[in-house]
Amino acid sequence: MERKIKFILNGMGVEVSVPPRWTLLRLLREKLGLTGTKEGCGIGECGACTVLLDGVPVHSCLLLAPKVEGREVQTIEGLGSRGSLHPLQQSFIDHGAVQCGFCTPGILMSSKALLGKNPHPTRDEVKEAISGHLCRCTGYHQIIKAIEALAK
Amino acid sequence: MIPSFDYKIPRTLEEACDLLWTFGEKARIIAGGTDLVIGLRNGHVRPQCLVDITRLEELRRIEESDGMIFVGAGVTHSEIVSSPLVARHGRLLAEAACRIGSPQIRNLGTLGGNIVNASPAADTLPPLMVLDAVGKVISKEGERKVPLCQLFNRSYETSLKSYEILTQVTFPKLPSSTRSSLLRLARREAMAIARMSVAVILRLEKGLIEDIRISVGSVTPTPGRMSDAEAALKGKLPNDEGIQVAARKVSETMIRQSGIRRSTAYKKPVVEALVIRAIRKAIEE
Repeated sequence: MERKIKFILNGMGVEVSVPPRWTLLRLLREKLGLTGTKEGCGIGECGACTVLLDGVPVHSCLLLAPKVEGREVQTIEGLGSRGSLHPLQQSFIDHGAVQCGFCTPGILMSSKALLGKNPHPTRDEVKEAISGHLCRCTGYHQIIKAIEALAK
Repeated sequence: MIPSFDYKIPRTLEEACDLLWTFGEKARIIAGGTDLVIGLRNGHVRPQCLVDITRLEELRRIEESDGMIFVGAGVTHSEIVSSPLVARHGRLLAEAACRIGSPQIRNLGTLGGNIVNASPAADTLPPLMVLDAVGKVISKEGERKVPLCQLFNRSYETSLKSYEILTQVTFPKLPSSTRSSLLRLARREAMAIARMSVAVILRLEKGLIEDIRISVGSVTPTPGRMSDAEAALKGKLPNDEGIQVAARKVSETMIRQSGIRRSTAYKKPVVEALVIRAIRKAIEE
């Protein structure tokens, strides 16, 4: 049996019907075609599925869809646009912080939340903000530098 | 794939209690879901109905009154970490909460969930044990208070009935002369379950240990206080010899409660060393 869920997605009101057992991750990818958010592990350990819920980063693979009723969700699709990248996205490119790109959307969302809450984070604060993300390609160094470049 | 279930979001505590009473064993409470959703995915949990308690106002508050601190069971770990009240009067709880999982997990996971999931490695339990925390449990049958040290039957199982909700945790404010420390061992700094953790609260009076409380996580099936070790140090001088005796009492207690396991060869010397470090760190505060 499906359940109607009304929430705000990247600034726009949205209404969908999904079974309550669906996670937000599945709702975004399969119902709404927003495949920027990735499933890396499905158990909340890799961070690839990270989106912002009421402004804070969460693992969308652990969030059952009904929980977003009446709340605000931001995904990577809401961060900048093709013609006009968000400064974080530009910084990631400039610093070589993207290799395969699979972890990138999630890390960008956590970075956005960090800078929104704390515009001048220390290196340790940057590391803590991305501590819920696994990257198999870059070794994290370039990612940290890309975020720090905006922490002025 | 997760099997089907009904999802209810009660707007009042009374509504939640009614739902749980009606559905009984077929319902499960969901708060943050960081443990439960994994259980749903791997088939360990198969409810017919989930009762989401995260919109209940009464479970979301952190308050003080009459020398006591009240933390709602639905408060997230992130909220605990950023609470000035907890920082001031229950610092160990905030220190433990800030090491759970990742920022994403802490933004969803709740104090109540960590307690009721009852993992032997639960991070909030050692601090709650040394804070002498008491839980408030509500159901259609009424309200009752349970010292948290009495809430656990065995690993992953509390004595809560299926229709009961843990709504709040309370502990007394500690005197300002209290010293405390929390040490946590894990394979990584983040996203790693605690291999072992030690929480210590103590007070010195005229150079002697007037009060000492010790709780060690991930070494016993259920959480508790290391009372033999505490008794060995109470009223004594905090010297190396005394602290080492206490540390040995901790490992003895661990072995008595958990038996000798593969991990004992590692955990015995490590728990002793960790307890010694934690006590010294608290004394030097």
